[in-house]
Amino acid sequence: MIGSEFIINTLSLGSLYALIALGLVFVYGILKLVNFAYGEYLMVAGYTLYVLGTFTPIPWWLTMILAVALAAFVSYLTELIAFRPVRTKSLDAMLVTSFAVSVLLQNAALLFVSPRSRAVPFPPAFSESVTVFGATTPVRNILTIVTTVILLVALTLLMKYTVLGIAMRAAADKFTTTRLMGVPANLVISVAFILSGLLAGVVSIFWVGRSASVDPLIGFAPLLIAFIATVIGGMHSLQGAVVGGYVYGLLFNALSIMLPASLINYRDAFMFAIVILFLLLRPEGLIRGGYTEERVG
Amino acid sequence: MKRIALLLSIALVGALALTGCAAKTDKPAASTSGDKIKIGAALCQTGIQAPLDEPALRGAQLAVDVLNAKGGILGKQVELINMDGKSDPVTVGNVAKQEIQQGAVAIIAPSDFDFGGPASREAQTAGLVGISPCASSPLYGSAALGDKQFTMSMWNTTMGAATAEYAYKQGWKSTYVITDDFIDYTKSLSKYFIIRFKELGGNVLFEDTYTQGQGDVSAQVARIKALKTKPDFIYISSYMPDLALMIRTLRESGIDVPVVGGDSYDDPGLFEALGTKYGNNIIFDTHGFLSDAANPAYGEFAAAYEKKFGTPPDAVWVMPGYDAVMVLAQAMEKAGSTDGAAMAKAMETTTFDLLTGTLKWSDAASGHEPNKAAAMVQLKDGKPEFIGWVTPDKIPAP
Repeated sequence: MIGSEFIINTLSLGSLYALIALGLVFVYGILKLVNFAYGEYLMVAGYTLYVLGTFTPIPWWLTMILAVALAAFVSYLTELIAFRPVRTKSLDAMLVTSFAVSVLLQNAALLFVSPRSRAVPFPPAFSESVTVFGATTPVRNILTIVTTVILLVALTLLMKYTVLGIAMRAAADKFTTTRLMGVPANLVISVAFILSGLLAGVVSIFWVGRSASVDPLIGFAPLLIAFIATVIGGMHSLQGAVVGGYVYGLLFNALSIMLPASLINYRDAFMFAIVILFLLLRPEGLIRGGYTEERVG
Repeated sequence: MKRIALLLSIALVGALALTGCAAKTDKPAASTSGDKIKIGAALCQTGIQAPLDEPALRGAQLAVDVLNAKGGILGKQVELINMDGKSDPVTVGNVAKQEIQQGAVAIIAPSDFDFGGPASREAQTAGLVGISPCASSPLYGSAALGDKQFTMSMWNTTMGAATAEYAYKQGWKSTYVITDDFIDYTKSLSKYFIIRFKELGGNVLFEDTYTQGQGDVSAQVARIKALKTKPDFIYISSYMPDLALMIRTLRESGIDVPVVGGDSYDDPGLFEALGTKYGNNIIFDTHGFLSDAANPAYGEFAAAYEKKFGTPPDAVWVMPGYDAVMVLAQAMEKAGSTDGAAMAKAMETTTFDLLTGTLKWSDAASGHEPNKAAAMVQLKDGKPEFIGWVTPDKIPAP
């Protein structure tokens, strides 16, 4: 029984982590910017679910679409207002800017809503339990896996077969050359931010759905997960982020179950020890990226 | 590496600026013989401590209004000065110091030993009474902080023992404990619950842990399901927001035995997050209950609260904040002055009748242990119901 439950849990957790990591790497790939405000896009989607679900009669499926759209829009706005003006300056300036955006958005939620967590209404079907292969699990976990597969396939098609996708991959590899070929830098970077926000929005539905509540600091844990997953998988490729997400999910669940009772308190220590080993022995992660150059302009 | 160094230096500059600001205000203490009695509060309006402190602050503000309407304390009007402690122990200490310099005669400290302690230490140094509305650590008292320091809350010793005895009396003999190891409060609460439950003859099947922010309890669920004998109930010592996640995951995975816990469950955010579907079979003890059933004086308080803030009280934490100011007021009246030592003496020798029940502190030599009953509450269809006031037969030694 633990067998099938373990597999479903690991797959759904891994799927969620993969999406989280992917959103971060989309921006990192092109801008070489670790966007600390990434978790806040997730928070924005969470609060949209809360506000629309609690105070308006809009049906739940529409609130979800609007939440994802708003996360993508806020991500785009931060790029436009905060990151674009400092983009040609140093990378450090961008990094600090991303901290500023993060603090700003968090405090906006704190001031305009409440420091206390707010309950987010979800359709009952979302947390209904089903029994699959003898394991009782929420429908949400199955939905997470299915959604992730669909998104990964769609993103693969986008990156492989559309002009935009090819331009983005090229920009991630050699930004200057790509610009010389006539690809507009602003467009590629904006699209990266929009996709990043979109993924954060989708993750938010499942992340918030687990506790059915949202609070101003909800974005921190996903951000940390994205960091660890990308360290394991590799910062320089989208595949790396996905692999890192699943490996992290597997490691997390496996350690939780296999460690003897006396060592359970030290699970996170084991987890981080593994991360440190990765940094020491394979700093580029499981999946090596292609040649990368410093971002210019 | 360069980036880390940069960030570190920014943080350092920030810290320096803060201490610099505090130092600048280092003027001689303002006169306390003005026509107003000033009470300082270092409650946190931002950061992780805000969910507890912000309602307490509202309660305190209301209490000051009520006092002033009745003529104030010792014939003087009362003024509450709150500065945001920002959920940072250093800031909490600094703002308390600043308020004392502005003439505060007592300090209300944040509701946690780690965050509230610095404010109480500043109060103690200045010879003033410091009081925390809701710090429940047994460290919060005269032994660790000084002979003029108090907490309004029952200690975790009482909070843990009350639920242990209640559960045992329901005939629930075995439990599975999940402890959030992120903060001291949750660890110490589990500890006293386990001590008392074992003492009664209860069986603790396993002591599991969780860390706030981890965001996943599937491993704990798997371990519970793998047990040969099922627990009669699950004791979870954690807090929001992850508490909702933990209880929902248990329920969604088909574990429907009672879930028992402490005052951190007393959060409307939790009730709503669990909803009618999962908001059942959950029992916790807390400081009071937002209805006349627990205290006849509640109705009047609630009406005054609604008049001032436009909404009915939404969290139980407003009551200890209100009570803290009232205790200080009574102590000043009884002492006949705002002298810290005289007030502390008055607080040790008075039995207070408060919104959160009757309260009697032990003397400074025995730690200012609060003798207080716990309000036992259960969730039914997502709504809290008052079970009754419970005083444990035996309270573990801190």
